[in-house]
Amino acid sequence: MEESARGDTILIIDDEEPIRDGCRQTLEKSGYAVLTAGDGPEGVRVARLSKPQLVFVDLKMPGMSGMEIIEILAKDIPDVVLIVITGYASIVSAVEAMHKGAYDYLPKPFSPDQLRAVAKRGMEHRSLKIEARLLREEKERMEKSFITFVSHEMRSPLVTVQQYMESLRALAGPRLEQAFLDILDRCSERIRCLAEMIERWLDLSRIETGLLATDKKPLRLTDVIRRSVEEMAPACERAQIGIETEAAGPEPPLCGDEESLVRVFTNLIGNAVKYTPAGGRISVRSVFDDHYIRASVSDTGSGIPADKLPFIFEPFYRVRGKAEKTKGSGLGLTFCRKIVSAHGGTIEARSDEGKGTTFLLKFPRS
Amino acid sequence: MTTKKKILLIDDDSDFLLATKLILESGGYEVFMAEDGKSGVDMAKSVRPDLAIVDMMMETWGEGFNVVSKLRASEGGKNMPLIMLSAVDLQGPLQSFEPPDESQTVNMVLHKPIMAADLLRKVETLLRYA
Repeated sequence: MEESARGDTILIIDDEEPIRDGCRQTLEKSGYAVLTAGDGPEGVRVARLSKPQLVFVDLKMPGMSGMEIIEILAKDIPDVVLIVITGYASIVSAVEAMHKGAYDYLPKPFSPDQLRAVAKRGMEHRSLKIEARLLREEKERMEKSFITFVSHEMRSPLVTVQQYMESLRALAGPRLEQAFLDILDRCSERIRCLAEMIERWLDLSRIETGLLATDKKPLRLTDVIRRSVEEMAPACERAQIGIETEAAGPEPPLCGDEESLVRVFTNLIGNAVKYTPAGGRISVRSVFDDHYIRASVSDTGSGIPADKLPFIFEPFYRVRGKAEKTKGSGLGLTFCRKIVSAHGGTIEARSDEGKGTTFLLKFPRS
Repeated sequence: MTTKKKILLIDDDSDFLLATKLILESGGYEVFMAEDGKSGVDMAKSVRPDLAIVDMMMETWGEGFNVVSKLRASEGGKNMPLIMLSAVDLQGPLQSFEPPDESQTVNMVLHKPIMAADLLRKVETLLRYA
């Protein structure tokens, strides 16, 4: 049974009149509206004007070649499906045409049935292509607007609550007993953690929608480490933990997003501070060989139990321990891993319980 | 008796306005609030504030800069200390956002939320050197 073609428009571009007429008759019988053109320029003009769903293009024509037409139409007409008509022995050029954006080819001579089958398949391909594009666009739009929604609708109330707590402190603080002020402080701290978690979560979403770590430039990992260590030095000092860096010689450049990488290292150093008792030591090292630039962040802290180690990069996973005074977002290491893999690198952890933890990072040399 | 210094607050979040107003009042300032750019600019004309605090993101992104531009153009606004409030990470969008012209410059940008003591100290400093 012949399926109805819903009046879809097909354009035939061929310099041989008998072929144009044959195709027209066959396809019109199947319910398509058919337009024809006898040469390239005419074909491109008609296509631009009538935006057909499907175009058959003869590869060998005097003047403008079929290949040129394919290139122009693939760019100009959204969602168009291009099919090349090609002489018996020119499969090679058909393959080239498909690289340039053609979907299929029809070798000459062809029967009406073959023509109908190829046209039908082309139309089906077109529907799928459009559906896939619409879904992709919808998904992207939702992801982006969700980020905007979260960043505004979740942050603003938190900011406002924080501001109210501040006003309470400013207004009533001098009259409040220390115990009440302590409660205020605890509330503020919990809200700060929540705000922090939202920020980290937003960072993850931004990586997934390709909005973070996009600004890649040649940089030196030692500079990233130096900046991170400078930033974290006060926290180390407060916790009475020593921090040292070690770098091997003039290091080759790495193509990366400096801000994101700094945050990877500040995150790792921050973790180390959290799990290392006073008097401990953190070392940040970088080395390189012919293929990779490697870095490590080691501490002399409490370590991670072997059975927990495989999960630490999972979102919201936390190693519960007595040593943990401040609650983290549970997203820090997930963030680190995403950023590192956005640079084509890997990150892994090794740990000896009671002796310390080492995070190993490996980036391919660019 | 000294008259209180007047501060104009412009932000589209009414709770944020109130919370900030309370902080500023605890510091001895008289505070006027506006919930959108237009009424803020109108209020500046009648109140003639000594300092204004403007949220950067109202209605549209960067709306705050338009408000700043209008405040700067209004009478007495050219040298008035202006604080811009931002809820965005300063590392991000703001850094790449350039005020189109000099009329939109502010004296200070503060990141929300603002600690009470910090806000009062900065307002006092700006007013002293105004």
